[in-house]
Parts: sequence; structure tokens; C-alpha cells
Amino acid sequence: MSDVLIRNEPVPETQYVAAGVTISLAGPMQRYALRARRAEDLETVFQVTMPRKIGASEGGIACLGPDEWYLRTEAGATIPTASGLPVAITDISDRSICLVLEGPRAAEILMSGCPIDLDNFAIGRATRTIYETVEVIIIREAEDRFHVELWRSFAAWFWIAMTTAARH
Amino acid sequence: MTGFRLETGGRVDRGQTVQFSFDGKSYQGLAGDTLASALLANGVMLFGRSFKYHRPRGVMAAGSEEPNALISVDRGPGRFTPNLRATGVEIYPGLKAVSQNRWPSLKTDFGAINDRLGMFFPAGFYNKTFMWPRSFWDKVYEPAIRKMAGLGDAPTAEDPDHYAATYAHCDLLIVGAGPAGIDAALGYMDTNKRIILVDEQDELGGGALADPALWPWLERSHKALIDAPNVTILTRTTAFGYYHDNFIGVVQRLTDHLPELGDAPREKLLRIRAGEVVLAQGAIERPLVFDGNDTPGVMLSSAARIFANRYGVAVGKAVVLMASHDSGWHDVFALAKAGVGIAAIIDVRERVDSALMHEAERLGIAVHLNHSVMGVTGRHSVRAVQICNNDDYLGRRIDCDAVLMAGGWTPSVHLWSHSKGSLKWRDDLGAYVPDLPNENVVCVGGCSGDWDFGTGAIIDMLPTPKDQSRIKAFVDFQNDVTAKDIKLAVREGFRSIEHIKRYTTNGMATDQGKTSNLNGLQIASSALNKPVADIGLTSFRPPYTPQTFGALAGHAKGALFQPTRTTNIDSWAQAHGAVFELVAQWRRARYFPQSGEDMHAAVNRECVAVRSSVGIFDASTLGKIEVVGPDAAEFLNRMYTNPWKALEPGRCRYGLLLKEDGFITDDGVSARLAPDRFHLTTTTGGAARVLNMMEDYLQTEWPDLDVWLTSTTEQYAVIALQGPNARKLLEPLVEGIDLSAEAFPHMAIREGIICGIPTRLFRVSFTGELGFEINVPTAYGLALWQRLMAQGAQFDITPYGTEAMHVLRAEKGFIIVGQDTDGTVTPFDAGLDWAVGKKKPDFVGKRSMARPDIVAPGRKQLVGLLTDDPNVVLEEGAQIVADPKQPVPMTMIGHVTSSYWSEALGRSIALALVAGGHEMTGDTLHIPMPGKTHTAKVSGLVFYDPEGARLHV
Repeated sequence: MSDVLIRNEPVPETQYVAAGVTISLAGPMQRYALRARRAEDLETVFQVTMPRKIGASEGGIACLGPDEWYLRTEAGATIPTASGLPVAITDISDRSICLVLEGPRAAEILMSGCPIDLDNFAIGRATRTIYETVEVIIIREAEDRFHVELWRSFAAWFWIAMTTAARH
Repeated sequence: MTGFRLETGGRVDRGQTVQFSFDGKSYQGLAGDTLASALLANGVMLFGRSFKYHRPRGVMAAGSEEPNALISVDRGPGRFTPNLRATGVEIYPGLKAVSQNRWPSLKTDFGAINDRLGMFFPAGFYNKTFMWPRSFWDKVYEPAIRKMAGLGDAPTAEDPDHYAATYAHCDLLIVGAGPAGIDAALGYMDTNKRIILVDEQDELGGGALADPALWPWLERSHKALIDAPNVTILTRTTAFGYYHDNFIGVVQRLTDHLPELGDAPREKLLRIRAGEVVLAQGAIERPLVFDGNDTPGVMLSSAARIFANRYGVAVGKAVVLMASHDSGWHDVFALAKAGVGIAAIIDVRERVDSALMHEAERLGIAVHLNHSVMGVTGRHSVRAVQICNNDDYLGRRIDCDAVLMAGGWTPSVHLWSHSKGSLKWRDDLGAYVPDLPNENVVCVGGCSGDWDFGTGAIIDMLPTPKDQSRIKAFVDFQNDVTAKDIKLAVREGFRSIEHIKRYTTNGMATDQGKTSNLNGLQIASSALNKPVADIGLTSFRPPYTPQTFGALAGHAKGALFQPTRTTNIDSWAQAHGAVFELVAQWRRARYFPQSGEDMHAAVNRECVAVRSSVGIFDASTLGKIEVVGPDAAEFLNRMYTNPWKALEPGRCRYGLLLKEDGFITDDGVSARLAPDRFHLTTTTGGAARVLNMMEDYLQTEWPDLDVWLTSTTEQYAVIALQGPNARKLLEPLVEGIDLSAEAFPHMAIREGIICGIPTRLFRVSFTGELGFEINVPTAYGLALWQRLMAQGAQFDITPYGTEAMHVLRAEKGFIIVGQDTDGTVTPFDAGLDWAVGKKKPDFVGKRSMARPDIVAPGRKQLVGLLTDDPNVVLEEGAQIVADPKQPVPMTMIGHVTSSYWSEALGRSIALALVAGGHEMTGDTLHIPMPGKTHTAKVSGLVFYDPEGARLHV
């Protein structure tokens, strides 16, 4: 039994193309929930500068709350997990998938069910919000490109929601 | 003039005729017509039957305030829309419209008998008449009334259309694109504001569409707005509700006006958050109240002008105006100019502006001042009016085919009112106008009372020599409320307009009293002899006009109705014929029937496989929370009933979670991975609730603790391997973990590698057998499951579902929170005393355990039940009595919470909550079920392998 196990993703791995937008599954990555009372403690552990403003993101780390950060990095990266400092580093690499919405209609498609004003959502901004009833994290990677992180079990539903909105 | 179509004028396309049908008869209209204008052009006056009296009704208005001309449009199966206003239905080739509330036909309606019996249907008729006997409510009154009442038929087939939805944001939302709304948009066009301009009609312009002099301005303005990049124009779009913080519900109709539907959504719901709102909803003309004012052909004066100037349709060839306001005179002058024959102007006032008199004289129109219409001749259409002098009631007859009512104007304050803006009464207008805003909103134009229609007299109803108790002078046309109904309500003691409204139903129809509220108020004011402002005003509520359920649902239908959560292994279960059940939002495999098996047979086979060899179960939906930080153990020690601080890394513990009231709310097995790291599990349905509860305590009660919670439910796919062969199957696949009983005992956790993938491997059991729960990163769940199925073939590995899982755990007396508990069960009631740390100074719920009713005897306690007939499987939920011979109603002492056939035991087993149950072991109880009362003996909770020999191997 030397065959390696293969990953099974909840949405098609081929890109969905509609007028003005493409929707595709981002490749596997490592994700961590980082929690600490003091950002400095995480900076000591990771040797990076943590973004301090809620909604800001820097170097793959998004500040989602007063004591909460979301780290995304490439698959296979080595991440410290124990430190002795009062921090919590939890592996949630497979908790979510990331859908990439790209194209001039990307914001419009997201706004079909997300109440955020994306006209006033700067590039680099990240936030935890909802699409209809489902929690998502939206990261604006570029003017016309968004990353949407959502829990796997909702992904099949969300794929239909996105592609339906894209068709309309 | 052909028929009633004027030779010239209007915005309709005279080069493009449109065939459509009404009640099966074919008609021709012009592109740009509404159903109302096209039928009027064909001389059709009769559009429908009224709600209560089934009186013949025509068109009263030209816009969305229309109360009478309600019709249905049939676009094929599932596309039947009732109660549409003919004034808002745009015609297209092939449009099929039908009238409503009539049988057998519009002209001959048997229900019209109600009109003859009108004296028996006063206000409050239903309340007074159908009180007794009580037994008639359901069987006689309600079915009969339902058959008679109502408007169009509700559609029965499933709606095949789809509907779009979105959120939208703007700095300025303008509702209404009449001159005031367009001016507002033009005024802000050159700012950097994002502007959305919505209007319910098919083109911009509002009142300007009926004023050809304004058309060049309208065209210029329209073009300027289209060219402005910051302005979004939405026509056929209704702002139906105004909610908190400038949140406006808006529906855009996309395909209802098209001959071919195509694939586009029918409507789109826009949930708009606006920085600022300008309401330019305009004003609605007020009808006059007189006998026969609902006869087809009696309509608002402004509507006649719209039909002539916008649609090129004459509403009659000899038209009479009944006015109390100058605006009607201007309308009639415009009609005369458009070529409509005017029979007379009647004005209730003694004096009017001399300029109006001169213009009437110049046009050769007969004028009767200080006169009123006292009656209308004609049933399906107007043939004449009787008018009388207001002082001496001397009358005369004027032949005519249409009567125009000009009773003044009512500002449309609906959305303003939704937003909780206050209103003030203006005596000069006889209307409420916006006063102080509650949101960032302003009203402009007609809806703020700002108009140049001239002046008028404010009257409750026209003077008449007739006995007012014998005439039908309508106030609310859609709900068939007459002036005498309102007066009756006042005589019967109602004083507040809120009560009068509900008693008479005035203003309660789908038109929300757009044309009736103010007349109703005036009549009540006169009857009570109190100023209008003293008797209150009723509230407007969304929707402004009726909206379809489809539009409000938006995307949320079919597969998108609500998310169904699926595990990584779901596709395998689907492919292997699983029968699913929904658990919270999750779809879970309930059992895996093989060919020919029913549920009973499949579950028995699955249970036997687990007890005899090995079963495999998808436990991915179990809630998981990772608790990390120096204070993790302290935190869990405070949350759970049992002690956690001394738990060694690598070991697991059953955790019982109470609410503050001392009742069980969740449970699960949790593991300590490191001194500062725990892996908690919760029930499938409790995952979100437990995380919220823990966060709540952490943030509000113990913010000093250095510990953080992360949901890891979806980080891991969880595969349970249960059965005596579980270890043998697992051993060759695992690296870095010694699976031997000595090295890896029951209730332990190890981290290692399985099939090349990192795993958190639990040795736990919810079945009473040797068991493991393999946690791997979710994406590998399916592949690992398939590998285990292949590798397990040598042991006849058997996938089992939630039903077998339930049976297996019940055989061991393991509870399911929410099934064997109901939110009023303490640990002691459930026989879980052992899970409560007696020495712990505190934990959530501890103090409540000393409450008098929790320590009192006779609480319902969880026990086992073994039926005397081993083949009888009790019904879950069945009630339990001590003595079946007691008189009915019997005292019920408990109920069955879980009940199954146990193949392992060859008999049925059950769990039950029974008052004082722990003291009843061996007693016989009685369980009445359909057909028979069964007997059962109270037993302990553990039915199978009570000493746990099978577990510790």
C-alpha cells in the first residue's frame, strides 16, 4: 500500500468561466488560526510584523479581530506550533477551501449575497463576513480578484450560488 | 377616433400593434400600452368584480394605486399571477389576461347576489354573524367564506421561474423618477456620489409622462442621466420597504413585460444600503365619496388625463368632471385639447378661480358650481349622472359615459412612514405631510405636499338628498368599505382610526388604502365631530405594493434554498446507495441498504458486522474545537462537570457540559494533546452552540484566562473503525503509533501517520467494541475511506450509518443529548453522576444542582425499559403510565426516548425518562400505543456487555 492518498475537493477543479468572471479553486495551502493577547508574542514566534488594524493583511497574515489573525502560506511550509508564549497556533489548513473570483464582474458576483460595500473595500483588505447565511472570509487580492475562504462543507452550495449569480 | 383611441397623441407606438386577450377574447393594442389603456381603447369598461359585494368594477386610476382593476396573467403552468393591477401590466404579443372573483363570467356573476343583500353585510358582519355555533367555524363558515371571498386564485403549480438577488450600495437613493426625482438626480449628477434612481414604471417621468409640454425636458434629462457614469437608473423597479439605517428593499421586474421569457431571472431583489435617500414618490389623487362612485367609468380625473396624454386613449366620448379641487379643471382642459368630448364640469364649491371659469367658457364647457353628483346610472358602465344643487337639492340628469373625480391630493408617505419619519397634518391640503425624519432621508415634490395643482375644498363626502343608510358610496374600493360602514363603526363606539380601520377593514386591502385612507379619516372625523389630527393615523407597512414570494426569496430556492453540509466522504455514500438523513445542516448516511433490504434488515446487518468483525462509520460531522493556551486545562475545568487539570497528554476524557440551570446541554470525548492543547469533540448539532457558549464565558466571565478556541470541525475527516477486528485492520496502515492494548489503551490519543498522512488517532468507542476514530486532514477523508474499505475486505468491513450507530450506543446505554435529554435533564437524572467532579469547587451549572426542584424527589430519570414481549419495539415518544386502569386523562409519568430492535440481544430495548425511575428497577410500567397497551420492566441503562469486556482488549 505505497500509493499516496489523493485529495478530494468539494468543488470542480476546472475553472468556471462566465461573462466577465472566472471562478476557480485555489490550490492547497496551509492555514492557521493565530491568537494572542499581544501581537508582539506572535511576532516573536513568527519573526514577522503582524498587521495591527482589523481588516489589514500583510505577507499572507490577515488581522480578523482584536486578538485574531489568519495565516495562509504555501503547502509544505514549516510553521512553529509550540512556543512557550501565551499564544494559540491552530492548524486549519483543510478547514476551508479558497475560491478565486477574477474579472470585472467579480465584485458584482460576490455582492449577490454579501452585504459588504465592495466599492469601498481596498486591495489587500480581508474580512470575515457572510454570503447569505454562510460565513466567509473575503480577501481582495487585486481590483478584479477576490479570494473567498469558506468551510468545506458549504463549498458545494457556495459553488452553485456563485455560478448561478455569474449566469444571471 | 377609432373606438376610444385618439387620433394623435400619447407615447404609444402607433406603428406597432399588439394582439392580446382578456377573458379569452382577442384585442389589439399598441406597443407602450398597459392592459388598462389597451382595453379602454377598445371600449372595455368592465375589468373585474369587487371583493365582498361582487360589484362590477372598472379602472379607477392609471398607476399602482389602482384598487379595482385587478386581473390575473396566465403564462402557462406555474406562471399564473393573480391580483395584478391592469394599470401596471404592460401588454405584449400573446398576453393572456383573465378577470377574477366572478362566476360563471365577468358580466354574469352569481356572487353579485351579495350586492343585493348588502344591507345584511354591514361593517363587522363576519365578527357578528359567525360567532355561533362554535362547531360551525371549521366545517361551515370558514370553507364557505373562503370560497366566496378573496380575489384571484392562488397559483397551484410550482413556479418554474428563477429570481436573482443582490446587495447594492449607494450614496444617494432616489425613489421615484417624476420631475422631482429627476431634478434631484440632475442636481447631484455632477458630484462623486453613487446614485441609484428607481421608478416603478417602464419609463422615467412619472407625472411628466402625461404632460407633453414636459417631454422635451424629460428626454434631455433622461439622456443626461444615462450619460452620467455615477447614476444607475432602474425602471420597472419598486422600492417596497424602508428598513433601519437606510436599508431599502427593492424589486426590479425583468421579464414580465417580455413576449418571450428566455432564460433570464424574472425579478431581482436589491437590498440597498443608501447613505442618503430622497423620496420623490409623488401624490395620489383622492376619489370623491358619492353613491355609485364605483361604477365602471367613474375614475380619477388625473387618470383620464394620463390615459389621453400618455396612451392616446379617451376614457369616454362625453365626460363629466366632478371636482372639489382645481386640478380636475386643468385635467379636463387638457382632455378637451386632446380631443375628448366634455359633457360638463360639476364642482362642489360655490366659487372657483375666475381663470378656470373663463377657460371653461372659452372651451364651451357647461359648468355647475355648488352641485354634486348624487347618483350614477348604469351598471357595467356609466350612462348618466344625476346631479343636484347643494342647497336646495334640485337635480337634473346629464348623459355621459365617464365621470372624473377630482377630490384633491394625498402625498405618498408610505416609505417615509416605514422609516418612522413623523407626519404633520396640513389643513390647507387636507392631508398628512412628512415632518421630522428618523433616517437620513428627505421628501421632495408631491410626496412632501409641494405641488402646483391649485386649491380645493376638503370634504368628507358629497352632499346628497338620499337616505345615507341606503346608498353605496365607496371609500375603500378594494375592500368594499362604504361611508356608512365607517359611520356605523363610530356609532358602535369605535373612536380611534386604528380600531375603525380594523373593524371596517378600510385601508387593509393590498393597495394599503392609497386612495381610501384620507377619505376614511375625514368621514370618521365628521362622524366623531373631532379634528382629523385628533383621531390618529394608521401605519403604513411594507410592501408598498404587493411583491411576489419569488422575488423576496431571491436565489433561495431549489438547491440554494439553504446549504446542505456534506462531508468529504459523502460522494462515496451516495454512490453506494446510502439512505441519508439531515442532522442539523449536515447530510449524513443513515444506513446502507443492500439489494432487497429494508431499513430494519440493513441496520441489523450493520450492527452484527460491528459486533462480530469491523464496521466503518463517517463521523466527520462531530463538532471539534481546539482549545489552546496556558490556561486551557483551567478553562475546561470550569466549563465541564468533571476534572480536567490532571488529565495527562495522550489521554481522553468524556466531558459533560451543563448550562447555568444545571441541565445537560452537550457532551463529547475530548483529548489532551499537550499541556496547553486540547482537542474537544461535541455533538454534530451542538458544535456551533457549544463554541458560542464557550466563547461567551471566555470573553465575558473569564477574560483573564490565556486560552483561545478555534473550530476545527472541518479541519478533520473522521472515520470510526469499530469492532473486534479494528486493530488488525489498522495496524499495517499506521506508522509511528503502537496500537497494542498496553501502549494504546481505551480513551487515549496518539499522533502519527496513516497511509502517509498525518493523523490524530483516538482510541474511543461509542459502540462498546474495540474502536478507533481516525482524524485526518479533511481532503484525504475519501481516499482514506476507500483504502480502509479495500484493506478491510478481508474482514468483511461493513459501512454503517447513523441508525446502526444509535442502536449500538443504546445497547451500551450511551445517551444522545437532545434525544435522551430534553433540556430539563441533570447529570443525576441521566445516570451520569460519575461524570460530575464531587470535589470541584465550581463549574458551569454547579450551583443550580442545589436548587430545590433539582434535589426534590420524583424527577424524571433515565432508565432502561425491557418490554415483556421481546418482539415489541416501543414507539419513541410514547407516553408511560403506572396504572392503565386509571380514568382518562391518565397521569403520564414519562416517555420513551430511544427504542430499537437489538439484533445482538435478540430483543427490543428502550430508554425512557420516568418520574422517580431510578427507584423503580424491576417494576412493570405500561405504555399505551395505537391498538394496544404494552407492558415493560424497568432496567438499568446498559443492556450489552455490562462489564465492558469487549472494550478493553
